[in-house]
Amino acid sequence: MNLLMVGCNHRAAGVDIRQQLAFGAQQTSDALQRWRARFADTELALLSTCNRVELYAVGAAPDAAPQPDELVDAMLSYHGLPARRMEGRLVSLAQRDAVLHLFRVAASLDSMVVGEPQILSQVKEAYQRAVESGSAGPGLHELFQAAMRAARRVHNETRLHRHRVSIPSVAIADFATRVFERFDDKRVLLIGAGEMAEETLRYLKDAGARRIRVVNRSWDRAAALAEAWGGAAAPWEELWEELAAADLVIGAASVQQPLVTAAEFQQVVARKRQQRPLFVLDLAAPRNFDADVGEQLGVYLYSLDDLAHACERNRAARAAELPSAEKIVLAETDAFMAAAHHRLAGPVITGLRRNLEEPKRAELERLFRRLPQLDQRARGEIELFADRLVNKLLHPPMESLRDASQEGPPHGLLDALRRLFRLED
Amino acid sequence: MTSGINMLCFTGCYAIALALEALGLWKRPPGRRLATVAAMLIGMVAHTWYLADRAGQAPWAPLASQHDWCLAAAWTLSLVYLGFVLYYPRASSGLFLLPVVLGLIAAARWSSREPIATFQAPRVWGQLHGVFLMLGAVAVLVGFVAGLMYLVQSHWLKHKRPIGERLRLPSLEWLERINGRSLAGATILIAMGFVTGVLTHLAQRDGEFRWSDPVVLSLSGMLSWLVAAECFRLAYPAARRGRKVAYLTLAGFVFLLITLSAFMRDGAAHGAPRTKAKAAGGAPKASAIAAAGGAPRTGGPP
Repeated sequence: MNLLMVGCNHRAAGVDIRQQLAFGAQQTSDALQRWRARFADTELALLSTCNRVELYAVGAAPDAAPQPDELVDAMLSYHGLPARRMEGRLVSLAQRDAVLHLFRVAASLDSMVVGEPQILSQVKEAYQRAVESGSAGPGLHELFQAAMRAARRVHNETRLHRHRVSIPSVAIADFATRVFERFDDKRVLLIGAGEMAEETLRYLKDAGARRIRVVNRSWDRAAALAEAWGGAAAPWEELWEELAAADLVIGAASVQQPLVTAAEFQQVVARKRQQRPLFVLDLAAPRNFDADVGEQLGVYLYSLDDLAHACERNRAARAAELPSAEKIVLAETDAFMAAAHHRLAGPVITGLRRNLEEPKRAELERLFRRLPQLDQRARGEIELFADRLVNKLLHPPMESLRDASQEGPPHGLLDALRRLFRLED
Repeated sequence: MTSGINMLCFTGCYAIALALEALGLWKRPPGRRLATVAAMLIGMVAHTWYLADRAGQAPWAPLASQHDWCLAAAWTLSLVYLGFVLYYPRASSGLFLLPVVLGLIAAARWSSREPIATFQAPRVWGQLHGVFLMLGAVAVLVGFVAGLMYLVQSHWLKHKRPIGERLRLPSLEWLERINGRSLAGATILIAMGFVTGVLTHLAQRDGEFRWSDPVVLSLSGMLSWLVAAECFRLAYPAARRGRKVAYLTLAGFVFLLITLSAFMRDGAAHGAPRTKAKAAGGAPKASAIAAAGGAPRTGGPP
């Protein structure tokens, strides 16, 4: 098997380069079909995500796969990009390195945010698209199945994916779910706007939040946000009433002084809430909520610093899991390569067995002709003896081939066996 | 026991389940959760067998003696624990619930196996009295455990403690709901237990009700507290939420402890007619039963 990978990723190329080289879903299918005509004997799969564009090629024989330059040329010419623009930005890996790379990618060890879960589904999608385009065969099938197995092992045997590292995901999954059992009946209030606040809203929507209210100094902005998130806008003047009615608040307004002080909260909001739990995510800097608001009964207040601290701790926890994850990926890579090398010995093993089976059959026939008085049971015992002898004779060369496959392609041993047993004939 | 099942069998199983829960604080090997549930299920089968055996040997069981009453309460609480595990598989609720189960078994170990005098009354009233009080006590214990978990979870959240891999607890919303329902359930069950207790005594031949009975006194105290707490909860919305309801259930537990102490100390004489109890010299147990009318009832109408 000849295995190659060419492409670019977030380590070697900036986002501008990656964007130029990126393939959409339709483009991927189209490109694979086009390249299939150009590289007829090669299986191809294209993985295109925000952080990487990688083309995997598998040829059944060493001379069957195209050269890396040809693959690069195919990718660049699809987009009409000149080769000089990508100089030094593209990565090319072959054989074991390519396998190890794909396994690390699938297990999210090569991701920008290590452990992020989306990459495995993107790898599956890339393989599925290759299958649908007719550019995948048994080589790619084994490669991608092994990659997914490695990723699953990393997922199941380490806690790499369990530690969330983005502020919105930590806020919702690590804190809000410990206060609330469900979100579909909770009233979410967004004060102001901001990228992180919207990202948090996305997580809340995924968790089931339906009742969203938006309060913003600009009514138009509030209305637009409310429409985008399927909620309702409320005038800025109703902030206190909204606070009293809310279960979960995201503070993202741009302010110089805290919008809500502990005294105001106590006087205006606390009385109306009757200690009903309030979960506050203060994602603004400077803060929207005075830190003392968190001291009120039933109020759970988290600032950016609190959440960043939790993220940092989770990052450290992920880093602690990395050695175990890398070990699993290495073991899976070794197993895959050994199996691939062992498959090279397939024709030799078949030839060896045939070379022993034919004389065995001939000798058995001769013996049974000379001893016609043998009954069925005696014949069966003699056949069994002959089978066991053949298997025992084959066992040492098979073991040697298996051992040699662990080191690399056992070409020398295969040549020796071919010559010793005249397998060419 | 004729079946070969004794208290050690299920106590050992529950202790193993607790040890496996505690192991989760340091390490979470694969299959630990399954092993915990398996240990609990085996324990519950042995426990059921033991109670059935007791019922076979002494028809006034399973609730007619302090020993049986405690074991039945432990059995019900084990069932509640399995429910918690099914609903919240990743939560370490066993660390809070199983010590209570083992505590009840320990109390059963050191308590009397003789039938309580009350159970010489018409069997149906006596059984209802025992069942309601046992279920009420379990409701108070569930509320206590949920309240404890609420306070721990709330403390962690207030102090911004990140989610723990080793020790996880259910959400505050769920714990608050369990707390409220336990308190309401306990109030109703204990009240019904109290009423059936009164009816039980009235149905006895001499029909005299002793308010000075320590068990009756402590039970009255607990019922008064539960009714007051429930009224407070209904009248004051803030008491239905958060730490307040948790504190109410914790206080309910204190009253339960007082009642149980009285029950353990004077339970054997509980419900015995005044003159007979005196004749038994304050420590009646089996003798009180004999004085109260011979051998314990074997069921059926008086």
